[in-house]
Amino acid sequence: MKKVIEVMNELKEKGLIKDYAVGGAIAALRWVEPFFTQDLDIFVILEKEANKQGLIILSPIYEYLKNKGYIWEKHWIIIEGVPVDIFPADILEKKAIEEATEIEYEGIKTKVMTPEYLIALFLRANREKDKRKIQMLLDQTEINIKKLSKILTDHGLKERFIKFQRRYYEK
Amino acid sequence: MKNEERIIISNRILTKKKLYEEKKQFRKERAKLSFEEKIKILVDLQKLAYSWGKKKDIIIWKL
Repeated sequence: MKKVIEVMNELKEKGLIKDYAVGGAIAALRWVEPFFTQDLDIFVILEKEANKQGLIILSPIYEYLKNKGYIWEKHWIIIEGVPVDIFPADILEKKAIEEATEIEYEGIKTKVMTPEYLIALFLRANREKDKRKIQMLLDQTEINIKKLSKILTDHGLKERFIKFQRRYYEK
Repeated sequence: MKNEERIIISNRILTKKKLYEEKKQFRKERAKLSFEEKIKILVDLQKLAYSWGKKKDIIIWKL
């Protein structure tokens, strides 16, 4: 885990990415009780946006990692024994990266998405396992309701959140 | 009411409602563990899933 963070910071220093943040289940784990997962999702803002054909080019990142000796297994790149998924950020994810919380992991600085953005992203994905994580975040950590409400409104997720609350929190 | 059924745990008698409240509080406390501690627990969970859950395709993280 520490090595993955070091490698991501390296990508940033070398100018291959503008910024990054840990998202998905591992980011949720930062805010709630430990639960099982096995992949580490990292969202990146690229130096170069999509090309004229609308293609997002991740090749320089993967080339760099390949040259460092990291191998592919299924859809992950394995960095020092940790399966990592690297996603180019869309509009909502970019905001989540920009407003992510800076933390230290074993003395190394990194960024983790906040509970409010994680809720919005899990809500958008809307799978059963995502809904469970939303419940954990709502039940186990402090949520800035005003901030959450703004994110949901800005990204068209308010209605879905109301439905979620009705289903899981109204008796 | 079902929530008022009582349960004996060790030398304590609890209502179901009280038990659920305590569990909720316990989870909130565990949520306050450091990120490093949580990652260590996660790796233990991966080991458990691999050995007990017979999920042989699980990748156990190296810390």
